[in-house]
Amino acid sequence: DSHIQYERVGADVTMKCGSMDWDAAVTWTANGTDIDESHLNGSYLILKNVDLSQSGQYSCYEGSSWHLKYQTNLRVGTPPKEPVLMCRSNNYPKGFYCSWHLPTPTYIPNTFNISVVHGTKDMVCEKDAVPKNRCHIRYIQLFSTVKYKVTLTVTNALGKNFTTLTFDEFAIVKPDPPESVVAKPVPNNPRRLEVSWQNPSSWPEPESFPLKFFLRYRPLILDQWQHVELSDGTSHTITDAYAGKEYIIQVAAKDNDIGTWSDWSVAVHATPWTEEPKHLTTEAQITETTSASTSSFMAPPTTKICDKGAVVGSGAVAVCWTAGLVVAAYSVLFI
Amino acid sequence: MAAPDSPSTALRRRDLCSRGIRLAGKMRADVVDLLDTYVEQQGLDASASVAAVEGVPLAAVERWDEQTGTQRLLENLAAYRAFRALLAQMLEEQREQLGEADAGLGRALAAVLLQVSAFAYHLEELLRLESRGVPSEEEDGPPPLPRLSLFEQKLRGLGVLRELAQWAVRSARDLRQLAKPSPATGTGPGLAESP
Repeated sequence: DSHIQYERVGADVTMKCGSMDWDAAVTWTANGTDIDESHLNGSYLILKNVDLSQSGQYSCYEGSSWHLKYQTNLRVGTPPKEPVLMCRSNNYPKGFYCSWHLPTPTYIPNTFNISVVHGTKDMVCEKDAVPKNRCHIRYIQLFSTVKYKVTLTVTNALGKNFTTLTFDEFAIVKPDPPESVVAKPVPNNPRRLEVSWQNPSSWPEPESFPLKFFLRYRPLILDQWQHVELSDGTSHTITDAYAGKEYIIQVAAKDNDIGTWSDWSVAVHATPWTEEPKHLTTEAQITETTSASTSSFMAPPTTKICDKGAVVGSGAVAVCWTAGLVVAAYSVLFI
Repeated sequence: MAAPDSPSTALRRRDLCSRGIRLAGKMRADVVDLLDTYVEQQGLDASASVAAVEGVPLAAVERWDEQTGTQRLLENLAAYRAFRALLAQMLEEQREQLGEADAGLGRALAAVLLQVSAFAYHLEELLRLESRGVPSEEEDGPPPLPRLSLFEQKLRGLGVLRELAQWAVRSARDLRQLAKPSPATGTGPGLAESP
């Protein structure tokens, strides 16, 4: 008969060849490969200080007839360490979920059992199909000061372990990050960026349970973030952006009254509006540009006005001079 | 079913709800601060479990989302009237025990008591707006509170403040529900009794 045998890493394992006598002539194989006689004590197979690589199928055959007398699937593993358990409500006030994992693998199958108690009441945590290590509970009561106690027990063939989490209803509330964050330049406003976002779709009742938001932004070239907290609305206009600099922007959410901030949203990038460079092809246009007010004109740093291919003929030098004036004005304004 | 609201009633309700929500938010913040002070000055363990104390209205509720507007207002009013009496008693006990030694705690308790009274009045205004009779204090009056030992008084005080903090959150949610336009009328909240 074939069966499964679980053993701890480092254990000494003795396998008998079924009902064969100790002094019977047998051959043992591991995953089809003959095992050296040095591992045998009579007909017994001795494996000392087993490690994970010794997991596999072990078979014992009678010496001369080569009849299969015994077979076992050896699974080397460890008893479970204390599991890691987390509970969170990202869909308040509907309910909460708990998820768990083992800090180190056991290499053998484990079963998890979770119990949830609210005061004296047992509650059922319904296991999710995906992911497997998660279950969810619907709130029966709201606004309770009585704590919830969640106990997770993990068991395998080599042992068991457990952990307990105790918390109150408000403490585990943490929304998912805001969604669909969009940042756009504002036409004719070189220092503004318009940011908008949506409530996370998992938050079921934003009207009755409104979220507040935290926005952070910085130009890519700097490390320090600027922060704005917004008590309502799902949009904000940044008014102090550095002209022409690409920004990175993120938003987080929190219930207005309870719980903790969400993780930061996916980052979006945006650059404030800058005026398009004019294409100069005639002397009249060059003159007009030169005499124009320089305070409202920002030449984009990437614009190549002096590019040889941009203009031809006698206008080329004048264009480059214009560009120099413009760049000088830009530099002054930017200091 | 209730008659549709007049525009002025709907506006007044929305105004009362908005102000009530802000009041509840401020009250909660002050109660949370008061809890920290109370725990420290009374020499209590902040994580101590306090069993439900007689006379302290519990904020915990089942099927909260199914409550009618009237139910919300009446339950809130009953709770805050009870808290008004409980806080008044705590203040009295405080003065008896400690006299001037804990003037700061006494002042903080008095400030919260004032906010609780103001909120109760606010709720009465909302009920009057709905042409609902405001329950008289005699009908709703809390039972006389039992005389407790000093330690029991402190624990009860902890329970009172914790429940009040929960109520402040619940009240803000209740008022937001009240402020939502009713699907039937399109102008006022769903205050009608369930058929």
